[in-house]
Amino acid sequence: MAGKTKVMLAATAALTLGLTAACGGGSDDNKSDDSSSGTGAAFNASATKVVNASDKKGGTLNLWSPQDADSFDPAISYYAWTINMNRLYSRTLMTYTPKPGADGLILTPDLASAAPEVSADGKTYTFKLKSGLKFDDGAAITSKDIKYGIERIFAQDVVPGGPLYLTDELDQGQKYPGPYKDTDPNKLGLKTVETPDDSTIIFKLANANANFPYELALPGGAPVPQKRDTGAKYGLAPASSGPYKFESIEPGKGATLVRNTNWDASTDTVRKALPDKITLTITTNAEDMDSRLLAGTADMDASQSGVATQARTQILTDEKLKANAANPNNGFIRYAAISQNVAPFNNIECRKAVVYASDPTTLQTARGGPVAGGDIATNMLPPNILGADKSYDPYGRAQGKPQADKAKEALTACGQPNGFATKIAVRNNKPAEIATATALQAALKAVNINATIEQYDGSQIATVVGSPNNVHKKGYGIMIAGWGADFPTGYGYLAPLASSKFLVANGNYNLPEIKDQAIDDLFAKGLAEKDATAAGTDYQEANKKVMDGFYYLPFVFDKALNYYNPRLTNVYFHSGLAMVDFASLGVSDGK
Amino acid sequence: MVAYLIRRLINAVVTLLVVTLVTFGVFFLVPKATGSDPALLYIGKQADPVAVEGIRTKLGLNDPIIVQYWKFLKGIVAGRDYANGPDITHCSAPCLGYTFKTNQEVWPILIHALPVTVSLAIGAAIIWVLMGVIFGVISALRRGSIWDRSVMTIALAGVSLPIYFTGLLALTIFVYGLEWLPNADYTPFFDNPVKWFTGLLMPWVTLAFLFAATYARLTRANMLETLGEDYIRTARAKGLKERTVIGKHGLRSGLTPLVTVFGLDLGALLGGAILTEAVFNLRGLGYWALNGIRTNDLPTILGVTLFAAFFIVIMNLIVDLLYGVIDPRVRLG
Amino acid sequence: MSLGPETSLHDESTPTADAAQERDTSEKAIAGRSLKQIAWRRLKKDRVAVGGGIVILVLIAIAILAPLLIKLLGHPFDEYHNDKIDPTLSLPLGKLGGISKDFLLGVEPVNGRDIFSRIVYGAQTTLTVAFLSAFLSTILGVLFGMSAGFLGGWVDSVISRIMDFLLAFPQLLFSIALVSVLPQSMLGFNTRWSRTIVLIVVIGFFGWPYIGRIVRGQTLSLREREFVEASRSLGARSPRILFREMLPNLAAPILVYTTLIIPTNILTEAALSFLGVGIPPPYPSWGGMLSDALQFYRYDPMFMIIPGAMIFITVLAFNLFGDGLRDALDPKAR
Repeated sequence: MAGKTKVMLAATAALTLGLTAACGGGSDDNKSDDSSSGTGAAFNASATKVVNASDKKGGTLNLWSPQDADSFDPAISYYAWTINMNRLYSRTLMTYTPKPGADGLILTPDLASAAPEVSADGKTYTFKLKSGLKFDDGAAITSKDIKYGIERIFAQDVVPGGPLYLTDELDQGQKYPGPYKDTDPNKLGLKTVETPDDSTIIFKLANANANFPYELALPGGAPVPQKRDTGAKYGLAPASSGPYKFESIEPGKGATLVRNTNWDASTDTVRKALPDKITLTITTNAEDMDSRLLAGTADMDASQSGVATQARTQILTDEKLKANAANPNNGFIRYAAISQNVAPFNNIECRKAVVYASDPTTLQTARGGPVAGGDIATNMLPPNILGADKSYDPYGRAQGKPQADKAKEALTACGQPNGFATKIAVRNNKPAEIATATALQAALKAVNINATIEQYDGSQIATVVGSPNNVHKKGYGIMIAGWGADFPTGYGYLAPLASSKFLVANGNYNLPEIKDQAIDDLFAKGLAEKDATAAGTDYQEANKKVMDGFYYLPFVFDKALNYYNPRLTNVYFHSGLAMVDFASLGVSDGK
Repeated sequence: MVAYLIRRLINAVVTLLVVTLVTFGVFFLVPKATGSDPALLYIGKQADPVAVEGIRTKLGLNDPIIVQYWKFLKGIVAGRDYANGPDITHCSAPCLGYTFKTNQEVWPILIHALPVTVSLAIGAAIIWVLMGVIFGVISALRRGSIWDRSVMTIALAGVSLPIYFTGLLALTIFVYGLEWLPNADYTPFFDNPVKWFTGLLMPWVTLAFLFAATYARLTRANMLETLGEDYIRTARAKGLKERTVIGKHGLRSGLTPLVTVFGLDLGALLGGAILTEAVFNLRGLGYWALNGIRTNDLPTILGVTLFAAFFIVIMNLIVDLLYGVIDPRVRLG
Repeated sequence: MSLGPETSLHDESTPTADAAQERDTSEKAIAGRSLKQIAWRRLKKDRVAVGGGIVILVLIAIAILAPLLIKLLGHPFDEYHNDKIDPTLSLPLGKLGGISKDFLLGVEPVNGRDIFSRIVYGAQTTLTVAFLSAFLSTILGVLFGMSAGFLGGWVDSVISRIMDFLLAFPQLLFSIALVSVLPQSMLGFNTRWSRTIVLIVVIGFFGWPYIGRIVRGQTLSLREREFVEASRSLGARSPRILFREMLPNLAAPILVYTTLIIPTNILTEAALSFLGVGIPPPYPSWGGMLSDALQFYRYDPMFMIIPGAMIFITVLAFNLFGDGLRDALDPKAR
């Protein structure tokens, strides 16, 4: 459920070729198979290829966002779009390849001169840095700056809120308190990371983990010069290792980035660095922002959360506007989790009844329909993750209709032929989730399952549905949620939702409380797999086991309809970042 | 007079203290009573125990509530220090703390939001007072005429319209339909007075319409009552010109009660026009109030409540002082 | 009357801050029983007020007969009609938001629920909240107002201080905050009715000082009057004086002010629902519908106009009737 506002992460993004049109409508989405880049936009062209490819420099890129950034401090940034923004000013050892399609899921060396050297047991990663790397003040970037940056994440009492994969991975019982309380004179006391010289950094893991490079590619893996670290205020003036540096940051209002003259293009194969200046304007008026986008006075919605309903109507009813819009799958699945520890859902047949009684089409419409909401979801792996198979449809959802007969059969088998009562828990600050809850409620009523909707304060997700004890106590049989992975792998997507390892007392995302040794084993097998395709097969097997248990009722493979100013160059949907790649954008008119 | 002023000021401060105490209590005790951990409200996606403890330390939630309240008060009067990793940050008085969510100082946020709300409130107030009084007086003088009846009908309709409905209607018609006005937006006056004016025109008119209706009804009623008083009859009998009678005697005592009402309305509005700001997407105090409530951000909520109560209390005080000037019957002391 | 700054805070009916300025309504006290007849005759003659009264009666009838009306003319308020919705745009098919013989007021965007049914059920909520919260304010206001006025001394100062404080309180802000932190279902009621109760309590609570002030002022002036003195000298006890002698004399102003806070309460309830802390879905409320309409008003204006117009008509009816009632009971205000 994609933490409250901490909307997911770089993720599993749309595997683009073959991203098909929605079931039931809008089937002309994606006709262009021509994967070469070119001009001449067409609806959804940027989903699969680079639109307006160009190397023209200069001009100002005007980004807008209806949502404020969580922080520009790399240790805190966790919104998908601030992670994307981070690539403009902070570099990491590895980062996603700047290419459309499945290529974008692959990591490429950035600060590192080459892919890491991994020991035979998979537990030691050694990186060598490129030479000639500099911060914006001219100081050289060393391996110690990277280590210091990672150490900062441990200081959860100073810079809380970011992803914690690296701390989980690297603490290994040391209870490292972060650099501010570090007793080491150089503040480099984290034992699992070694910096034998300025251009070498060695990570020692407790267990082999094929995801580790992805964890390092999060902004938290960026270098931070210790003498410029201002703690909690670092997000207001972060050091720059990328092609742009901040001229100003005004929380709640916006930010301006200008060229970093100490950045050397020859060390960087990832970023195009075309505009001279990038401005970000935060607005509270999403409608007004949409009007500006359509009028061409704003270039792009940086949050990429999709235009509001009224602008959607305007775009879809105007072919010209539609040609500059795209709606690739963003790696999220919206779903209902069914708690197997709340009666009568301890009986799989009662879970089946809910699954079959639901109406795939009303749920899809509640999410915004096939264009702005998403395709009807058929299973619990988004179509773009390696190993996923969209045609795998065990619940028969793609046909779009409720299956009342099967539902009634299941009810009888469950010993509840006259239906039963249950509760649907839903966040009160997500209108689309409330809409899906009411749609589900209406569909369940048709087979005499009387569900009451309980809205809870969305900011308390970690303790309300995220606490299994509370779920049992309140009797939440069904919980509405959504999830996008932090890493574009089957493990990154499904393990938090289905592995017993992720079952915790607070902040739990394994809502049905799945404890299945067979599923856990498949995840472990995938993690140790050297070959990504083989790992994909393992994860798909795990997915099948999850589906067999009727724990989740998937609603849609999520989509957001976004509009791009026609003057933008190099627009393409990046699978790894799950949105348009900011670092490649330019403006064609040089203004 | 001085003694009176001091007494009133002490009263005002006590009222503000009670407001903060009640707000503090509600937002700390209610979550506690319903069994949720405040620290978990502010945690990100990963509610790791280490992270939860970190948040608790950072926000000072480990202190007893009384201590937290005391620190809050001390911050307003003397400022307070925050641990900030490498060093200590001093938040100088008046310090309302840092927002839990975004780690920004609350005081500057609210100070920046203030001009938006003040522009909105004052601009609307000028329109509604002028319109309300003019229409009310004319209606009172032409009591029973077609004019009177139609004005009073429109006024009653105005009183009965919710602002979020008229606001949406105005947007539909003037912004998206006829395209006469730009979408409501706040531009600082000194940046561009013209944009400031055009951006606020629609919120002003919408807000003023509601209040003008109330004021027209109020003015009319007060005028009618005043015009029925003996001294007005006496003035007329003395042969004073009608203009003098109305202008000098009628208006003065007829409009005096308006001062009270105006003071209270303006005070309430200056604390944040929540609905108007919500409909027109203006980022004034009302926006921050709603935002604070929706994100459970206690420092923001406390700050806005304090601002709002401050304006109400101050306007009350001003009104009472003004009364001593306008109405010779009232003696302060 | 938990008033937001942007609901109409002061009508001529609202008591002014200074008790000395209250209109002296003692005449009607003298008129005693015959006042009822006089007032009734006056009210009957006031066509506008009668019109308002009729609208109110019709609305009450609609609210009570809601299940029947929907059986005859509508569809269940939570029933989805996706065939009435354009799947790509989420907007109702057909003109004017899908108004047809089958759907008298059209359908909602996204889910195709029957707007007619939702308006009818919304009337239930609106009127229940408005009446009961006004009732609560009145009870509290009379209780505290009379205590303050009659007992005087420290009781009076304490109650007056509390009333002053509540009036200086950012009420809308606090109502939103309070409603949003309270649990959704409690005391065994379902979410609809428990939230309704919360709204009644919050709105009613913030409204009592307005009535309380009037009642206190009236009680103060009545206390000094001859008939009370007479009754006291005859050895009547305080409760008897309060309830037998004073309360009947306070009935007229109490009735008027209660009637006049009902429309304000409707606006407050709608405002809270509009801001997202009112009646939870799938249960309908007019303010909640307006809030949903925010996303659609440019392409489906009917979805905004219908609930907006209902709020307007209802509030206007109460205002007209309340005005008429006051004029009938208080000839001086004419």
